Amino acid sequence: MLRLPLFRAISRSNGRLTSAVCFHNSAANQQQPQQQPELIELFIDDKPVQVPPGTTVLKAAAMVGVEIPRFCYHERLAIAGNCRMCLVEIEKQVKPVAACAMPVMKGWRVKTNSALTRKAREGVMEFLLVNHPLDCPICDQGGECDLQDQSMAFGNDRSRFTDINFSGKRAVEDKDLGPLIKTVMTRCIHCTRCIRFASEVAGVDDLGTTGRGNEMQVGTYVEKLFMSEVSGNIIDLCPVGALTSKPYAFVARPWENHRTDSIDVHDAVGSNIVVSHRTGEVLRILPRVNEDVNEEWLADKARFSYDGLKRQRLITPMLKIDGKLQNVEWEDALVAAARALQDLPPNKCAAIAGCMADAEVLVAVKDLVNTLDSELLTTEQEFPKSGAGVDLRSNYLLNNKIANVEHADVILLIGTNPRFEAPLVNTRIRKGYLHREQNVAVIGPKLDLTYDHENLGQSPDIISQIKSGSHPFCEVLKNAKKPMIILGADVLTRKDGDKILAETQSLCKNIEKTVKTDADWKVFNILHTNASQVTALDVGYAASLEEVKKAKPSVLFLLGADENIKKEDFGESCIIYVGSHGDNGAQIADIVLPGAAYTEKTATYVNMEGRAQLTNAAITPPGMARPDWKIIRALSEIAGHRLPYDDLHELRDRIAEIAPHLVNYGEVEPSNFLKQVYELAKTTQGSFLPDPIDIKQKSLDQFFMTNAISRASPTMAKCVQAVQKQKQV
Amino acid sequence: MSNPARIVTRQVKPLLSLNENEARRRVFGLYKAWIRQVPFILQDYDIPKNAKDLKMKIREEFNKHRTVKDIRVIDMLVIKGQMELKETVEKWKNKGALMFYFKDTVEPKPTDFMSKFMNGTD
Amino acid sequence: MAGVIVRTLSVPKRQLGLLGQLVNNQQSRSYADAAPEGKKVGGPLADEDRIFTNLYGRHDWRLKGAMKRGDWYKTKEIVEKGADWIINEIKVSGLRGRGGAGFPSGMKWSFMNKPSDGRPKYLVINGDEGEPGTCKDREILRHDPHKLIEGCLIAGRAMGACAAYIYIRGEFYNEASNTQVAIAEAYQAGLLGKNACGSGYDFDVFVQRGAGAYICGEETALIESIEGKQGKPRLKPPFPADVGLFGCPTTVTNVETVAVAPTICRRGGSWFGALGRPRNSGTKLYNISGHVNTPCTVEEEMSIPLKELIERHAGGVIGGWDNLLGIIPGGSSTPVIPKHICDTVLMDYDDLVRVQSSFGTAAVIVMNKQTDIIKAIARLISFYKHESCGQCTPCREGIAWMYKIMQRFVQGNAEVHEIDMLWELTKQIELHTICALADGAAWPVQGLIRHFRPEIESRIKNFKGQKVAVTR
Repeated sequence: MLRLPLFRAISRSNGRLTSAVCFHNSAANQQQPQQQPELIELFIDDKPVQVPPGTTVLKAAAMVGVEIPRFCYHERLAIAGNCRMCLVEIEKQVKPVAACAMPVMKGWRVKTNSALTRKAREGVMEFLLVNHPLDCPICDQGGECDLQDQSMAFGNDRSRFTDINFSGKRAVEDKDLGPLIKTVMTRCIHCTRCIRFASEVAGVDDLGTTGRGNEMQVGTYVEKLFMSEVSGNIIDLCPVGALTSKPYAFVARPWENHRTDSIDVHDAVGSNIVVSHRTGEVLRILPRVNEDVNEEWLADKARFSYDGLKRQRLITPMLKIDGKLQNVEWEDALVAAARALQDLPPNKCAAIAGCMADAEVLVAVKDLVNTLDSELLTTEQEFPKSGAGVDLRSNYLLNNKIANVEHADVILLIGTNPRFEAPLVNTRIRKGYLHREQNVAVIGPKLDLTYDHENLGQSPDIISQIKSGSHPFCEVLKNAKKPMIILGADVLTRKDGDKILAETQSLCKNIEKTVKTDADWKVFNILHTNASQVTALDVGYAASLEEVKKAKPSVLFLLGADENIKKEDFGESCIIYVGSHGDNGAQIADIVLPGAAYTEKTATYVNMEGRAQLTNAAITPPGMARPDWKIIRALSEIAGHRLPYDDLHELRDRIAEIAPHLVNYGEVEPSNFLKQVYELAKTTQGSFLPDPIDIKQKSLDQFFMTNAISRASPTMAKCVQAVQKQKQV
Repeated sequence: MSNPARIVTRQVKPLLSLNENEARRRVFGLYKAWIRQVPFILQDYDIPKNAKDLKMKIREEFNKHRTVKDIRVIDMLVIKGQMELKETVEKWKNKGALMFYFKDTVEPKPTDFMSKFMNGTD
Repeated sequence: MAGVIVRTLSVPKRQLGLLGQLVNNQQSRSYADAAPEGKKVGGPLADEDRIFTNLYGRHDWRLKGAMKRGDWYKTKEIVEKGADWIINEIKVSGLRGRGGAGFPSGMKWSFMNKPSDGRPKYLVINGDEGEPGTCKDREILRHDPHKLIEGCLIAGRAMGACAAYIYIRGEFYNEASNTQVAIAEAYQAGLLGKNACGSGYDFDVFVQRGAGAYICGEETALIESIEGKQGKPRLKPPFPADVGLFGCPTTVTNVETVAVAPTICRRGGSWFGALGRPRNSGTKLYNISGHVNTPCTVEEEMSIPLKELIERHAGGVIGGWDNLLGIIPGGSSTPVIPKHICDTVLMDYDDLVRVQSSFGTAAVIVMNKQTDIIKAIARLISFYKHESCGQCTPCREGIAWMYKIMQRFVQGNAEVHEIDMLWELTKQIELHTICALADGAAWPVQGLIRHFRPEIESRIKNFKGQKVAVTR
C-alpha cells in the first residue's frame, strides 16, 4: 500500500517536510517546534497579501477574497494540477501558472482577471466542453454542477466546435461501481478527484485511469464494485455529473429541495448532515462541513440508508390483542399502557434504551421511571458499571476528540474495527498514517483496515502483557510522543468487560507515566458504536441488563431497543415499545407506541467525544407517529404522574438540570477526571475470560445493516448483496 | 372629550354623509341591495347554504357594526360593503371566498398538551 | 530522447536569475546580434575533432574496442579532480543540453552540487528517444555505450550522485542489451561500483527499460516511470533537482550530453567551446531523414549551414535543392521552415529561434515538393494525439480536436475561417499544460499555417469546386 500517494502534495519550499516523508529518522526533526517562518508579500490583483512560504497562489488569493476557478483542486486531496482551469497570469512570466499548485514567491504580481488569464480560462473551458455531452436537462448534477456554473462565469458564449457536424463527441462506456454510484462516464472531465479520494481518504486503490490521451478513462479497469464504506463521497467530489447517486437518480432538482441541517445517528461519530427533502419525503442526505467531526465526508450507511425511513415504519399505536398486535387509537394504547403502570411496587418498572434514542426521550423516560420508584435504566449495549462507572465522563468518552486522532503517532485499537464502526474516525487514522507516520496496532481478530497495522493477537491477556512491559509492542509505545489507545465499546459487553476496561485504564496510566504527553492529550479513549450511548450514560442509565432481567419488571420500556432483547428474559413483563421501526423490539412488545425517526424530530444527540448536537425535524412523522418524548409525556399524564414539561424548551431546561453539557450544542465539554478514573479502576476485581476478543463488523457486508433504519433500507440490502457477490468473484 | 379634540373632529372633512340620517339611509340601501342579491348568489355560487342562511349571515354581518356611531366610519364600512357586493355580483369571488363568512364552524386549535398530542399538531 | 518534452526548463526560476535575461526571455532573445566575437559559421568537422568515432558500428563496441578508441582513458584522474573542476570544464565548454531545450549543462549540473541533506542524489539518463525523426541516442547506446557509461561516472561525480539510471526506450531492445553488457564489462573491470576506477568514489549504473511511451521522455514522467507508476508528468515545482526520483534530488540529462562529457574533460572545455558559434559550441549528432538521397546520422560541428549539411552528408535533396519544399529542422515537434529560409539558416539553437523554429534534437526532416505537407503535419498531430498522456485538459482535448480539423484540412473539407480558428486553438494549447508535449504538438501546426497557409486555402477551394461539380 502506498504511504504517500503523490509526492506532488509536498510543497517545494518546505524541504524539511519532504525529507520527513522519505525517511523515518528525519521525521523526528519535524516534530521540533519550527521557527515562525517569515511571511512573503505578494500582490493579488494589486491587493497586497502576506502569506507563509509554501502557500499556493490559489490559497493566497482566497485570503484576499479572490476566488480562482478550479475543477481538479480540492482542499482535502493531493494537488493534481491537471484541469488547468486555475491558470493565472503572473507579471513578467511568459507562461500562465496553475494557481492550485504553484507556491508563491516574493513580490509576485498575480493577475487573476487579466486578458491572458481570461483567455487561458476560456480556452480550457472550451476544451472541457468539446467532449462534454450536452445532456444537462437529463443530468442529475444539473443545478449543482461546477462545469455548468463555471462555463456560465468563464466560458465563451458560443460554440466553435464545428466538428460536431463531422465526427461528433467522445462517448465512453459507463462503469458499474455498485448499487450506490451511478456513472455516466461520457460526462467525465478527468479531474481525478475520485481517484485521489479513493487512494488517499478511502484507502481503497480501486479507481484509476486507463488509456492515454483522449482515450483516457477513469474506472476500475476490471469491472468491480467500489468496495469502500465511504464511497458516496466521490459523488459530492465529482464536479460534473459523471458520478451521481444511484438511489437519487432522476428524483429531484437541487433547487426545488428543502434543506434541513441535522445530525447522523447511524454511528456514534455524529456526522453533520443536510437532509434534502420535498413534499414530506427525505430525498437524499448530504454531508455538512464540520472540521471537528466529519470534515466533509459521510459514511455510506448515513448517506444512503434514508429509504429505510419509509419502510417497516410504525405508523399507528398497537396493542397485543389475542396474542396479535392490532392497530388502535392513541387513546386506547395510552390508557392500556397507563393501566400497566398503575400501582407498581418499587423497582418494577424498567427501561432499555436503543441505539438511536435521543436525549429528550431518555430524560423523559428516566423521570417517569424514577417517579415510579425505580432505577432500572439501562442501554441495550452494556457498559461496565464497576470502577468509575457512569459517574465520570472520562470513563466512557473518546477523550482525545475525533479531530486529534490524526495527530497521534501510535494508536492501539482494542476490540474495535473503526473502519466499519466509525468510518470517519477511520479516515482520520488513515490521514495520520499517510501524513504523520502513524503506527497502528490492533488487539482483536484479523482486520482489513485501510492502513498497514500490526495485529498483536486476539487474547485479552495481551493488554496485561503490554502493561507489564513484557510485550514487544511496549517499545513502540515507549518511544511514542502522542499515543492513543482506543477501546471498542462492543468488547466491553463481554462478561469480563469491566476487567478489560480496568486493565486498559491502568495500561493508559502506565503509558502516561512513561511518555511525557501534554496535559490535554488523553491516552484513554472509547470508541462507541451507538449514537445514544453517551447520552444515556450521561443522564444516568446506570443499571445493567442483568439487573433488569433479575428484577423481573412488570413494565419494560424499550426505547427503540432491538438488539439483545429476548421475550424469554421478560416473560412476565408488559413490554412497551417506543420507536420508529417495526424491528425485533416491536415484535415482542405488548404495546407499541410509534415514535419519530431522527429526520422527523428536533432532538439532541451526543457523539462519542461528548459533543452535543441537534437534529432538526425535516419532515413530519408518518401516520400517527409522534416525537418520542411527547409519547412519554402523554403517557405520564394519563398514568397520573404528569411530567412537568409541555414543550421542548421546558424539557431542555430539565435536561440542563441533569446534565448542562447536553444543551451546550456544538461544543465538547472537557472531561478532566481521567486520573480519578484510573484510581477507581483499581477497585475492579475479576479476571479475563479465555475467549479471544472478537469484533462484530469485520467485513464490508457486515457494515451496511446494523440498526432498525438500515435493516429496513432496500439500498443497504442491495449493498450487502453486491459485496457478497464481489467476494465470491 | 376635551375642547380642542372636538374641534378637530368637527373640522374633519366628511366622506360621503353629512349627517347621521344620511349615513343611516346608505346603510339600509346597502342592506336591501344585499338581500335582493341573495337568490342570485344562490344561483351563481354552488354553496351548501340556503336563502335563509345567507340572509341570517347578512344580518349578522351588519349587526357586527351596529355600535358604530362615527359617520365617517359608517361611510367607510358602507363603501367596503358595496365593494364586497360588487365582487359577489360580478362573480369575481369564488366559492371559498364566500364560504369564508361561515368559517366559525372550524374548530379552534387546541392549546393544552394532551389535546395537541392527540391531534398531532404542534 | 523525446526532444521537445525536455524543452521546458528544468530549473526553478530563481536559480535562473543567474542566467538573467539569457534564458528568461526565450522568445525575444537574439544571440546572433549580441554574441561575442567568434566563428560566424560552423564548418565541416575535422576527423580528429569527432567524439563519436564508432557511430556506424564498424568497430568493436565492447570495452576492449572502446578503450582502443580512447574511452576510459585517465577517467580516474578526471574523477579525482573533483566536482568543481568537472563542472567548470563543462561550463567553459559551453555545452548545452542535447535533448532539445538547450539548457547550459554546466549550470544544470551545478544545481545538484550543493550540501546534502541526507538524501542520496541520482543521475537519470534519458534514453527514451521517441521523437519522430530523432535517432541519435540509439547510435550511442548500441555502438558507443562506454562513452555514455564513462559520462555517467563523470557527470555523477560532478553532481555527487550515488547512482545513475539509464532509461532506455522499450523498443530499443538491442540498444538496451548492448548497454547492459557494457555496464557489466565496466563493473568487471572495476570501472563502476565500489571505488569506481580506483578513484575512491562509489558509483552504480542501472538500466531501466521503458514500455514505449513518448511522454516518458519528459523528465518527470520518466521519473514516475522509473518509480513504476504511469508515465505522467509531475507538477513543477518541486523540480527534480529538489524532489525527483524516489523523492531525492535528481538530474535528468540526455544521452548525448552525458556521452560527450568525458571527451570534453579530456580535451578541455576550451577545445569544445571553440567549435561552432559562441553560445552554440561543440559538435552535434545530426539525423537527416526524409527526401534526401542518403539519409544518415552524422556528427558535425554546430552552426553548420543547413544547406551544406544536407548537400555534404545526405547527398542532397531528391530532385535537387530547388525541389525542396520545407524542412523540419529539429525533430517532429519543431515548426517547419520553408525553402527560402533553409537556404541560409545555420543549424544551431539561436539561428533557428531567429526563424521561429527550434533546434530541438537536430533531427532534420527534409520534404521535397512531392510532399503533401498538410497530410504530413496531420500525421504528426496524430502521433501527438496518440502519445498525449491525458492529464491536462488542453492537451487531452485540444490535440484530439486539432487532429479532427487537420484531417479535414487534408481533404479540404473545411471553411477558410477555420484556419484562423486552428491557429487560435494552437495558441490555447501552447504553454497551458504541465509538460511541453502539448507545445510540441501545437508548433508544427503553427509552422504549417505560418508558411503554408495558401496551400490549405487552395485545397479548401478545390474541394468546394469538386463538390459543386458533383452536385451538378
